[in-house]
Amino acid sequence: MIRFENVTKVYDPNARPALDSVSLEIDRGEFTFLVGASGSGKSTFLRLILKEDRATSGSVYVAGQNVANISSWRVPKLRRGIGVVFQDFRLLPQKNVFANVAFAMQVIGKSRGIIRETVPEVLKTVGLEGKERRMPHELSGGEQQRVAIARAVVNRPGILLADEPTGNLDPITSMGIMGVLDKINQNGTTVVMATHDDDIVNEMRKRVVELKNGVVVRDEAKALYTSMIPVVGESRRLKDASEAELDRAQGVQQ
Amino acid sequence: MRLAFILGEIGSGLRRNLSMVVSVVLVTFVSLTFVGAAGMLQLQINQMKGYWYDKVQVAIFLCNDSSTATGCASGAVTKEQQDNLAKMLDSPAVKPYISDYQFESQADAFKHFKEQFSNSPIVDSVTQDQLPSSFRINMKNPEKYQIISETFSSQPGVETVSDQRQVLERIFEWMNGASVAAMVVAAVMIFCAVLLITTTIRLSAFSRRRETGIMRLVGASKTVIQLPFILEGVIAAVVGALLASGTLWLVAQFWLNGDLSRQFLNTPFISSTQVLVIAPVLIALGGGLAGISSLLTLRRYLKV
Ligand SMILES: Nc1ncnc2c1ncn2[C@@H]1O[C@H](COP(=O)(O)OP(=O)(O)OP(=O)(O)O)[C@@H](O)[C@H]1O
Ligand SMILES: [Mg+2]
Repeated sequence: MIRFENVTKVYDPNARPALDSVSLEIDRGEFTFLVGASGSGKSTFLRLILKEDRATSGSVYVAGQNVANISSWRVPKLRRGIGVVFQDFRLLPQKNVFANVAFAMQVIGKSRGIIRETVPEVLKTVGLEGKERRMPHELSGGEQQRVAIARAVVNRPGILLADEPTGNLDPITSMGIMGVLDKINQNGTTVVMATHDDDIVNEMRKRVVELKNGVVVRDEAKALYTSMIPVVGESRRLKDASEAELDRAQGVQQ
Repeated sequence: MRLAFILGEIGSGLRRNLSMVVSVVLVTFVSLTFVGAAGMLQLQINQMKGYWYDKVQVAIFLCNDSSTATGCASGAVTKEQQDNLAKMLDSPAVKPYISDYQFESQADAFKHFKEQFSNSPIVDSVTQDQLPSSFRINMKNPEKYQIISETFSSQPGVETVSDQRQVLERIFEWMNGASVAAMVVAAVMIFCAVLLITTTIRLSAFSRRRETGIMRLVGASKTVIQLPFILEGVIAAVVGALLASGTLWLVAQFWLNGDLSRQFLNTPFISSTQVLVIAPVLIALGGGLAGISSLLTLRRYLKV
């Protein structure tokens, strides 16, 4: 679904590359964590998938297509196949929940009927039914992120990119968000999530790709945030708490 | 759906930037009024040319008793001199340039003079002898005046050759000058308008960067993202152009064809319908400039 072949990205010729000869393949339907210290190149990785930036060398393939060969007028089509979620939610403050999600469909020309049908469905998936008329400032951070996720997946993209989606949320709320992402992944969407949140990574036990100074230093299936460190103490307590939140989130959806 | 969406975006953009939009409307209004005024002056010049050029004549004034010109040293024009001049007018050297000519005797001249100044006391102080007789020539091509002047002005019995057209030319030159001045003002104002549109669109793009950022991410096309901004500029400019056209129409309707035409009875003024010919030009100019400057601004300030 996503393939990097010796991808190097240099922003500033005088500094080290943001990504340094990265080769990586992410299959359809996979859930992958992208971890690493600040500045290790996680956001850059995601931006290259979106063709927000061009690789300095190497090739990025999305759904079998080399993004370097996608002409600028076809870039919107590429982006329709990819949903994106950010740490800062990026909701439109003067639109309510329904309108925020509907916006993503309006701007690509979906009919009113389809919008009216699809948006409530998606809001239900992210656990926000009944809150359609709320304004963003009337929602908690976790709820706002759910709206952002709903907006990212409302056009049924094959890929969902999440750049530290839980960065602004407390651990329990974060686990709720993870439940939503997991569910979207179960429905067949490939999810790539950049994160600093070790508890989440440890909890989810998904594939982990670790970047360090732009280089992939680890690529491990069903892995932990840090290689070979068992879950202990504080993490354990949060894990229990987040499991409760997960159950609650799933309970809401049924 | 997409159309409704774009219209909604334009509406909210116009509302959000109301004061800037109003200034764009006003500046384009003023600048296009100057453009239109220059255009109207040109139309007026053409109208007057068309009306007068058929009527203006070259006149060869002949000597009378009181002439002082060198060609009149031998006193008033004689019968032979006059016949000789008529022969020259019919000669192959001159004939191809003129369509026809009439002889105006002193008696005719006196009659015309009395008509023209019928209610002026000057009539009483002028006698028939004081006025010159003349040949009145209608030229095939009025530009060829020089030929008549060169051929006839040194002939015996000719006091002077005069071209009525030259008087008109001076008026037209003056009107042309005014229209050039209007164009210069218009150019400066249009420059202001373009700068203002550019700033407005930039502010508008900045104040809506959240929306456009999201539109980009969810794969909205370049057109859907940019069109609302471009149309915002174009609509403001077109409103300005409509105001300018309306103003010019009012000027033609109530000033040119009202007050002025009562003052200058035999001047053909352009009609208010003719002014409507200028309106589409103004609208295209305003809309086009706004569209292009918006597009260029967006290319720099709005990533798509
Ligand atoms: N637009 C840019 N221009 C110049 N340098 C940039 C740009 N974006 C990122 N960088 C540099 O590239 C490197 C990788 O940045 P990136 O944002 O990918 O890191 P990250 O892993 O996402 O960090 P964080 O966890 O803090 O979000 C950093 O050294 C950063 O300074
Ligand atoms: Mg980042």
